[in-house]
Amino acid sequence: MAATAAMNSNCSEHNPTVSRRTVLTTTSAAAVAGLAGCSGGGDGGDGSNELELLHAWSSGDGNAAIEALIEGFQEEHPDVEFAEEPVNGAARSNLDQVISNKLQANDPPSTFQSWPGNHLATYEGAFEDIEGDVWNDDLKENYLAGPQEQAQYNGTYVTVPLNIHRINNLFYNTAVVEEAGVDPESFSSPSDVVDACATIAEETDAVPFAQQTSGTWSTVQLWETILLGQAGIDGYESFINGEGDSEAVQSALEAVVELSEYYPSDSSSISFTEANTMVMEGDAAFIHQGDWAAGAYSGADDFNYGEDWNQVTYPGTSGSYLLNMDSFPYMANNPSPEATRQFLSYCGTAEGQVLFNAEKGSIPPRSDADVSSLNQFQQDQYDDFNAADNQPPSIEHGLAVTPGVKTNISSAFSGFLEDYDAAATAESLIGASN
Amino acid sequence: MRNPLTVLRRRWSNDETVRTDGGTSAAGSVLDRDVVRSAPFWLPPFLLIGLFIYGAIIWNIVLSLTDFQGLGSPDYTALDIENYVIAFFGGTPSWSELTVSPIWNSAWNTVVLMVSFSVVCLALGLVLAILVDQKIRFENTFRTIYLLPMSLSFVVTAKFWLYMYNVETGLVNILLGAVGVGPIEIVQNPDLKLAAVAFALIWQFSGYAMIVYLAGLRAIPTSHFEAARVDGASTIRMYWRVIIPQLRTATVSALVVLTVFSLKAFDFLFSMYGGYQPGPSADILATRMVREAYANGNWAYGSAIAVILFIMALAIVTPYIYSQYKRGEL
Repeated sequence: MAATAAMNSNCSEHNPTVSRRTVLTTTSAAAVAGLAGCSGGGDGGDGSNELELLHAWSSGDGNAAIEALIEGFQEEHPDVEFAEEPVNGAARSNLDQVISNKLQANDPPSTFQSWPGNHLATYEGAFEDIEGDVWNDDLKENYLAGPQEQAQYNGTYVTVPLNIHRINNLFYNTAVVEEAGVDPESFSSPSDVVDACATIAEETDAVPFAQQTSGTWSTVQLWETILLGQAGIDGYESFINGEGDSEAVQSALEAVVELSEYYPSDSSSISFTEANTMVMEGDAAFIHQGDWAAGAYSGADDFNYGEDWNQVTYPGTSGSYLLNMDSFPYMANNPSPEATRQFLSYCGTAEGQVLFNAEKGSIPPRSDADVSSLNQFQQDQYDDFNAADNQPPSIEHGLAVTPGVKTNISSAFSGFLEDYDAAATAESLIGASN
Repeated sequence: MRNPLTVLRRRWSNDETVRTDGGTSAAGSVLDRDVVRSAPFWLPPFLLIGLFIYGAIIWNIVLSLTDFQGLGSPDYTALDIENYVIAFFGGTPSWSELTVSPIWNSAWNTVVLMVSFSVVCLALGLVLAILVDQKIRFENTFRTIYLLPMSLSFVVTAKFWLYMYNVETGLVNILLGAVGVGPIEIVQNPDLKLAAVAFALIWQFSGYAMIVYLAGLRAIPTSHFEAARVDGASTIRMYWRVIIPQLRTATVSALVVLTVFSLKAFDFLFSMYGGYQPGPSADILATRMVREAYANGNWAYGSAIAVILFIMALAIVTPYIYSQYKRGEL
């Protein structure tokens, strides 16, 4: 811009033709100025009021949610500015690369969007203890045990969970299940879902169980939910602690194999969005997904919660709220220590969490939030959350296991999707944490 | 006795001696040598390429000898070949608590993909080029049609082939159905996965091989065709004995580029399988490398895999280039 302006003034005042040398000089001067500007903005130094926040919510509901959160925060702290940078591209995996590169260059951001729990192992040593000033007694009292445990790495509070997506919901199209004469409310174990699928296949033209199988993540999610349903919270926790029972693991895989008979025949070519649309259009009965599936439903016309679609907690997992969370950690060597603490404290308030989750479609991790501004489905989820006996962390969504183990688990499932060999996959899964 | 300083001064200055033919001679002056005088033109690119290409390769090799993992900076004082031992034999490396499996599976898939893709692409490209070279009508249109897929990014073609391979609505299965086969699962079928990926890549890049061969064919003088005809060669014999042997240079340049494209199949697999877990039947070194480096933070081990991939690519291209060099055709 500077170069253009200089050129314009040259043109109008002196002569109509600008020599190449003039252009080159002006351009390079502008470039140098630009570089200086960059480096000037980069080092916040101590006590900076500019908070560098990196996240992957560059569009859609995620972007609306983070904007609502920042707006709410700035009403209380108008002096804090945001150097907010959505990292574009393949969402989280890209963001993690950016963070790794920044940390290796010893240029940490103030905070960034991160899965809490064991995923934090990726950046081991880059966080600072925030117990006391951010994680004060108020937060400790009002976060339930599950989310609170995920906020810690090796027993130290380092991050503030902001939202919770539930992984163990089974969504269904009411018209389709009614046509087949199936009542999801009556299901009590994962095998009831398989039986219901058989009935639906007989009684209707709809696909019983919508699923995508080109990527591994939907199947890992389904398997972990069924494992939780069959082996219970103890069996699930022993698996994530690396002491899994191979029979339990294999039995859950076999249940997935049974369900796979009822997938759409082209499941390997479709995406989650297409699978979810099948449920919305009445072409499929069930879908197992995180509760972001409901986000698509609430955006659709004439597809209403309780009437056209409904959900049950995945049969067998009724006392559990399987967690997928996002959080904002406090980075050591922080460019804006005070502002970051203020922001993280705000993320820990019920008010901030409600603002964020109203847009995001998830629920606040605090148990004392006033959720009346959330939609009915979210309110019901929130009631389930507060009534849950336990809040185990999700494997697929990075909380339960370290990144290396998660890669091994995904690799095991990439083989499972090829041959559905439950015994061999169970062996790989048991070996994943060795 | 001349003062040595005077000699030096004369050497470095622009003193020009008059040569017998009337020109001037810069004999002895380093600054006046062609190589020095042209330095402003060749030196910057030379240094940049040296630093960013060969420097980076060397750095990567050194990195692969460290134990660099997670955050922090690599320790260059303790170099060993542990990562290569792990890559070939598996085991639990010193930098990890988890067992790491060897890379044979992905290495084998990489070789299969690289060889089948390059060979079929070249063969198909040659046939297309010969056909297009027959002074047909709409030659430009055909050329554009064949070349067009190459202008698309891997992300687009991967999603496109995901539709094409769809069991219910994909064109591939509809065509198979028309001849009484199928429908068959392709995308997650362990027996067909890699072939399906190779097929899609061949579809995308055979047009490139065609263009390179077409340029090669056009460079062959018409007299060669005519001489072969006069000597009574059939069309097939003419191409086989006279024309194709003259296309060696075109083959080398196409082969090098195609090999590079096959290494870039990572983008394709990433888009098709929604991440770097394409499954054991289609896992190539590139996906394995990214998994180790970016999912697990095992930077040094990822570098070791990158070095192996680099050596494999060299091993495939080098013999051919060397034989061309011996023939004096490069």
